[in-house]
Amino acid sequence: MSILLNRKTKVLVQGITGRIGRVQTRWMLDYGTNIVAGVTPGKGGQEVEGVPVYDTVAEAVAKQGAEASVFFIPPKSFKEAALQSIDAGISLIVVITEHVPVHDVMEIREYASEREVRIIGPTTPGIITVGEAKMGIMPSNMFTPGRIGVISRSGTLSYEISINLATAGLGQSTVVGMGADSVVFASIPELLRLFERDEDTDLVVIVGEVGGVQEENAAQFIDRWMTKPVVTYIAGHNVPEGKRMGHAGAIIQGEHGMGIPQSKMAALREVGVDVAMYPAEVVELVKWHLTPS
Amino acid sequence: MKLYEFEGNDLLRREGIPVPDYALAATPEEAREGAEALGLPVVVKAQVLTGGRWLAGGVQTAYSLEQVEEAARRILGTSIRGWLVQQVMITPKVDSVREFYLAVTIDEYHGTPVAVLSAAGGVSVNRIALERPEEVASRHVSVIKGLLPSEARRMCRGVGLRGAEVSRVANMLSALYHVFRNYDALIAEINPLVRTPEGDYLALDAKVEIDDDSLYRHPELNLSLDSRIPSLLERQGREIGVSYVELDGDIAIIASGAGLGMASMDIIGRSMSPANFLETGGAITAELLYNVMDLVLRKEGIRAVFINVYGGINPIHEGAKGVVRYMKEHEVTIPVVAKALGNHQEETWEIFRNNGVHVVNDVSTEKGVEQLARLLEGGK
Repeated sequence: MSILLNRKTKVLVQGITGRIGRVQTRWMLDYGTNIVAGVTPGKGGQEVEGVPVYDTVAEAVAKQGAEASVFFIPPKSFKEAALQSIDAGISLIVVITEHVPVHDVMEIREYASEREVRIIGPTTPGIITVGEAKMGIMPSNMFTPGRIGVISRSGTLSYEISINLATAGLGQSTVVGMGADSVVFASIPELLRLFERDEDTDLVVIVGEVGGVQEENAAQFIDRWMTKPVVTYIAGHNVPEGKRMGHAGAIIQGEHGMGIPQSKMAALREVGVDVAMYPAEVVELVKWHLTPS
Repeated sequence: MKLYEFEGNDLLRREGIPVPDYALAATPEEAREGAEALGLPVVVKAQVLTGGRWLAGGVQTAYSLEQVEEAARRILGTSIRGWLVQQVMITPKVDSVREFYLAVTIDEYHGTPVAVLSAAGGVSVNRIALERPEEVASRHVSVIKGLLPSEARRMCRGVGLRGAEVSRVANMLSALYHVFRNYDALIAEINPLVRTPEGDYLALDAKVEIDDDSLYRHPELNLSLDSRIPSLLERQGREIGVSYVELDGDIAIIASGAGLGMASMDIIGRSMSPANFLETGGAITAELLYNVMDLVLRKEGIRAVFINVYGGINPIHEGAKGVVRYMKEHEVTIPVVAKALGNHQEETWEIFRNNGVHVVNDVSTEKGVEQLARLLEGGK
């Protein structure tokens, strides 16, 4: 089963004719992803890697039954692309695009909240259901099939954690990049809920970082709802206040130190989550949980 | 991008919020001229992109032209929380009978605008929210519908405003919401909005920050980056298209993602000291990494470079070519250690190995940092 995505999911690639869209389409197909269509306005009728290209999402849905869409579009096109997908009935959107204006994200968030659609990102590496399909840019050789779910605010750290788990013989079910912007669509609690219900996941690793309140809210959710063990690592132990550490969302703000990693770690420890001090320690903590006592 | 107070003032004025006239001055003489034109008494205010100006002595009232020059002399050239004061704003001193705090910002977790109003302006709204929560009203705003006048009036009544003041302040809040939306702001704040003895309303301080990712649609703001990033290296990082943050140590870090960069800092910080945070984002080319090597090595006293990259969207084999070309051209002799995994990893290792870069033979950053530490010890 896994979450969000499997080998049968009919995937659409928006921005398929762009430089990155083409390369990543090839790699997603190689991984086994069921890509049924691509969309680039004005390029309808072409083919990319054998995938038919349409002018609009509505056509791709009508002709190929696309149900999930991954975005390799420029940030300026995000709003239009998202509105098209939502209106055409796409139920899962993965926004790889970086530098999307935050006001556009807020507008689509509100529009989407009244409809049946789940959106991941922006600025996410995407989703990989290991051994089945991927919607995104993650290098496939970092992942091994298994029963650990991973939720990460950072793309590169989701690779780091996964390859380290895999090297220790611990595979993953689904790995989800949350997106690194200050406002993202899916929250950690939302994704935890999916992993809690998933029969193919035994344990969840959360990779957090400085900034925002995602981890604090995750702690509350875990306390109330999670029965599966959770292990976490929060990056950025000693970042200076007021500096954006690459990600728009990774910033410690103001005199009250909103977003500091120490408060996130404390909130998670308080509800029984094991907090690794360094990435490789995640592997040790996961092993400890999964070893039959 | 944060705006200076005077730039924020201009935006407020464009949306119909009354602000006092002002003059800008970079020298005491200019300050004097400005005050002469505006009429005494005036307030001389440091223009820096940080709070805490009052406490640092960056805001002074002057009742004579001599006092204006004196205040400007004292403020210009000082440093407030690390920001050099290069300009002061001269503005007429305004008497107030009542002060308010108004803001529109983003509730990041819920992904929605939030409007905030307090009947106690001039001080930290956070403190008031903690000590006297009944004096603060905040509400989420539908980004599709906008802040409705009825909602703004309800907020005003909620913090105890009555009579004509309700609609006057509500109008200001609506106008501030327009500033927030029309200029893609992350925050638009007035602290304080004052009511003068004559019954006028004036915004006496504006704090506006624009979303960097939306600057392309605001050429009218004509914002220059130069004075806004105090660190030269951080500014240069931005110019070449990477995110660089200067730190105190001597181990340079180059990472292909922000999380990986922070984790590298965490791990290096256990036994050594990072010189910088640097994240390339997803646009690695040979040229970019050439420039990145140049950037991290501009800082004095770097003992080693730690490269930590993943080939997901990034062609790391291309990046490797840029690194080794830089090393050759500049005869880099300090240790350069690279952990490179993902697409094209074998090709990347080969380029690195053939050109004197130490490739990490492990999947964990911890092991890579241990390797780096051993190299440094051996080099003593």
